[in-house]
Amino acid sequence: MAEIMPTLIRIERRQSDFHLTYDNQQEYTITYHDLRHACPCANCAPLRNEDETSLTLRSQVESYKEHKPSVNPVGNYALNFIWQNGCSNGIFRFERIWDLANRRDPDNGKQYVHGAW
Amino acid sequence: MAESPISTHDPKNDSQGPVQPSPQQQKQMEQNYAQMKRKMAMQEIGRKIKHKIMVLSGKGGVGKSTVSTGLALSLAQQGHKVGILDIDITGPNIPKMMGLDNHRLHVEEGRIHPAKGHLGVKVISMAFLLDDADTPVVWRGPIKLGAIQQFIGDVEWGDLDYLIIDFPPGTSDEPLTVSQSLPNIDGMVIVTTPQAVALLDSRKSITFAESLKVPVIGVIENMSGYTLNGVTTANSPVEIAGPGGKTVKSTSDENGNFSVVLDIFKQGGGKSTAEDFGVPFLGALPFDPGFVRGGDDGVHKIVSDPEGASSIAFTKIVEAVQEQISDKAPSTLEII
Repeated sequence: MAEIMPTLIRIERRQSDFHLTYDNQQEYTITYHDLRHACPCANCAPLRNEDETSLTLRSQVESYKEHKPSVNPVGNYALNFIWQNGCSNGIFRFERIWDLANRRDPDNGKQYVHGAW
Repeated sequence: MAESPISTHDPKNDSQGPVQPSPQQQKQMEQNYAQMKRKMAMQEIGRKIKHKIMVLSGKGGVGKSTVSTGLALSLAQQGHKVGILDIDITGPNIPKMMGLDNHRLHVEEGRIHPAKGHLGVKVISMAFLLDDADTPVVWRGPIKLGAIQQFIGDVEWGDLDYLIIDFPPGTSDEPLTVSQSLPNIDGMVIVTTPQAVALLDSRKSITFAESLKVPVIGVIENMSGYTLNGVTTANSPVEIAGPGGKTVKSTSDENGNFSVVLDIFKQGGGKSTAEDFGVPFLGALPFDPGFVRGGDDGVHKIVSDPEGASSIAFTKIVEAVQEQISDKAPSTLEII
């Protein structure tokens, strides 16, 4: 049976992570590093296709000084995070955030294929 | 002491007066000034138009321009002030669909005034600038870019509630230029048909939208099913041999009328694509030959048959679009 995703009702930006509250009153955390490593934009996503480039991306995001990002709603289905440095392009659907909150691979093991360029 | 690499200008020693720019520099300055003015105009236009919606499809021939005109007319029917910007420079056909064939644009004090089509919808299209409808526009990227910026910055749209921007198929220069030139775009509507090839390309469009940082408002499935109406004996079963060897069954009513929906392509592909990508599904539009006739005659089905099934389908889609771009939508989320 397909999982029913609860609605995200609150995001608290802390020193190094997000504290998320869903409408079923469950609470989760996502570190800024984990979120930035999972950026779905067309620049970052292909880097996760290979272990080596994925590790490079990981060390890159870990090298950035941690700070609270700006959070902008995108339509009513996603969020965009604006960082002081590095990539701020990714549009994170709520499903993706839910996967990250549950420590699941948001790409579900799928390789990213450049469809757009 | 080494000579400084920086030259200084001392007006006291200047016997020849201020240096006059060369004609080339003068031209460059004029171009820069015009570009700056256009950029400011684009910012101003961005403020004066409340909602800007891009309509794209990965594949050609899925009915994108029909959907664009349908959305515009449906919004205009609700009483909104609406414009359509036909960015399909090499194949512009919105004017024909809006009954504006052979219309010429009015230019006043360097500003282009859009043509007005059915229900007062304002239209700008490359078609208005072509001497002959059979003349192809063969332009490379940079020239297209200039034309698009001109279409945005030099047009006197006035105050609009909605601007619908119709693009050529695919993921090329045009949406990129528009998304970088026009501020505060609400998002993209992606049009598809249920066939696998169109769905594959729609997936590219969704990825493309994310690359451009433009939200996907949702996916519309066009040519979703053909409604066949008929009359037979009252209260009797009806069987129609549908596409792909599928038999479609129905029962006639007490007057003998029956109606079945034939899936000319497939069914539900647009919805499943939207679900796969986690973007909203805005609705399905029926396969309606009236759209083709209406497009050719310059009278859209929404204008000629405002109570018809296709008009109702458009109204539902417009409601779904409005729900997505509503300012109220994200307010349930608290960000601290």
